[in-house]
Amino acid sequence: MKHPRGKMTQLFWFACMGAVLCMVLAPLYLLFKYSISDAASINTGGAPIPFWPYHPTFAHFGYLFSDSRFYDVVLNSFIIALLSVATSLALGIPAAFVLGRFQVPGKRLLLIGLISVRLFPDIASVIPVTEFFIRIGVHNTYLGAVLAHSLLALPYVVFIGISAFESIPRDLEEQALVLGANGFQRFFTVLLPLAIPGVIAAAIYTFLLSWDEFIFSYFLLGMGKISTMTLYLNQKLNYSPPQNLLAAISVCLSLPVILFSMAVQKYNTAGVTSGALK
Amino acid sequence: MKPLRDNRWILVLQQVWPLFPAAIFLLGFLVIVVSYLVGLSLSQPLADAAKFPSLVAVQHVMEMPVFRESLYNTLLFVVCGTPVEVMLGLVVALLLYRNFRARNLIRSVILIPLAVPALVTAILLFIIFDFPGGHVNHLLLGRYDLFPRLLHDPINWRSIKVFALGISLLGKVWRDLPISVLILSAGLNAIDPELFDAAKTMGASFKTRFRLIIVPLLLPSISAVILLRSLEMWKEFIFPFILAGKYNLLGTLIEALYNNWGRSHEAAVVALILVACIIVSTGLFMWLLDMVRRRLTGE
Repeated sequence: MKHPRGKMTQLFWFACMGAVLCMVLAPLYLLFKYSISDAASINTGGAPIPFWPYHPTFAHFGYLFSDSRFYDVVLNSFIIALLSVATSLALGIPAAFVLGRFQVPGKRLLLIGLISVRLFPDIASVIPVTEFFIRIGVHNTYLGAVLAHSLLALPYVVFIGISAFESIPRDLEEQALVLGANGFQRFFTVLLPLAIPGVIAAAIYTFLLSWDEFIFSYFLLGMGKISTMTLYLNQKLNYSPPQNLLAAISVCLSLPVILFSMAVQKYNTAGVTSGALK
Repeated sequence: MKPLRDNRWILVLQQVWPLFPAAIFLLGFLVIVVSYLVGLSLSQPLADAAKFPSLVAVQHVMEMPVFRESLYNTLLFVVCGTPVEVMLGLVVALLLYRNFRARNLIRSVILIPLAVPALVTAILLFIIFDFPGGHVNHLLLGRYDLFPRLLHDPINWRSIKVFALGISLLGKVWRDLPISVLILSAGLNAIDPELFDAAKTMGASFKTRFRLIIVPLLLPSISAVILLRSLEMWKEFIFPFILAGKYNLLGTLIEALYNNWGRSHEAAVVALILVACIIVSTGLFMWLLDMVRRRLTGE
């Protein structure tokens, strides 16, 4: 039999944990609820807003998927995110390889230099970047958005990549060297395949960062023809649309991020190099 | 000897050349950010580039009542938000510290807000705190049986400063809490459980164990959370942008100056002041935390 005080402690723990879970999940539930709410469940005419819609409907998702502008913004977001991934990986993975595998003179200082630009608040660094992009003519273009999103993601890609390359046993590379592999062969056939989980995590991270990025997109694309999902949501907000439509767009924006984030967690725990030398 | 030295540098260059594109890209942008911020701040608005250096833009900003108010609001945001995030993070981390069956599942659930875009969280709060018909107003007006009536009239949350900034802070804390939990959980898990067992055996209450074991050993993690969270509070833009309307923080003031009022020079000045505030605040927190650490360890 448990001590009554121990039982009370356990009860208190359950109550606190329940409160924390409610605090985390209730807003997400409300977001989903609003996205499938009919008009009568929102404009209740003084009656309490129901915790479950009177007549759940996917009409707002239907409206979104029949709107050609919505497809345009999803496509734009995809294009910008994929190009940002490509740019960040193309620049970041070779840099991570060097920093993770070689004794580079002044490595510590270099790492601080690489991360420095991200130490500025986005809202502070967006002004110079916008001014510079206006001057070189890439404001309101895909290129501008891709460069800006790559700027945001690249330091993280380098750091994720460094830990991926550092975790690969040196003996593997030395064995390839003994077998006569040159630098390129060692990188592409030995190191890169083993660093793939880290590379994928970096790619997903960059994709998500670009997909839900708002500040740079707002300054660089906000006044032009190219729009992304976050800009679309903000534009809708300015025209006071029905709350259920706002919630439906929010669900479409969040769902890929939540799913991909879970995928990143999986890759982070993969540990593919364990036992590679056996 | 010289050819040998040259060869060494050639070998180093052969090894490190793949680093150059990323380094040029990032360091190039760093130079652009710093030079444009300083250049814009110290050149005269509505004049040609020849009017450099000039403190006119700085003077304009200092004379703006909206700047002083934004600085005060941001300071309030940092001072209120940082302890809330640390305390809540500590509570959740302590709750997760226990061994229980669904621990991994619950930890994953608690991390979900991190995956929700900040803009979506802000929109969600925009809907929930709607006037006059949001969920919160309905709840406080006593329209649900489960909650007593606390209000007679609905509140327009986004039009009253304290509430507008409060719900912005609520959104920020909800979304970023997982980061604090992760850092503090890692710190807690690094503490040797035998220390707790020994203290428990000797009859120490939870309060004593918390004060004498958890706080001193968790101080590095708590320090990291305080530094990171205060930094993020200074940098905040999206939540007040969506939820606080005319009640600016420094971040939203920069946006308003640049996009709405077309005053890029003044926007750059405020951006530089924001950077300076972050540096000063981080230094101050580091000094204070070092003092606390010395006091706790008796150095």
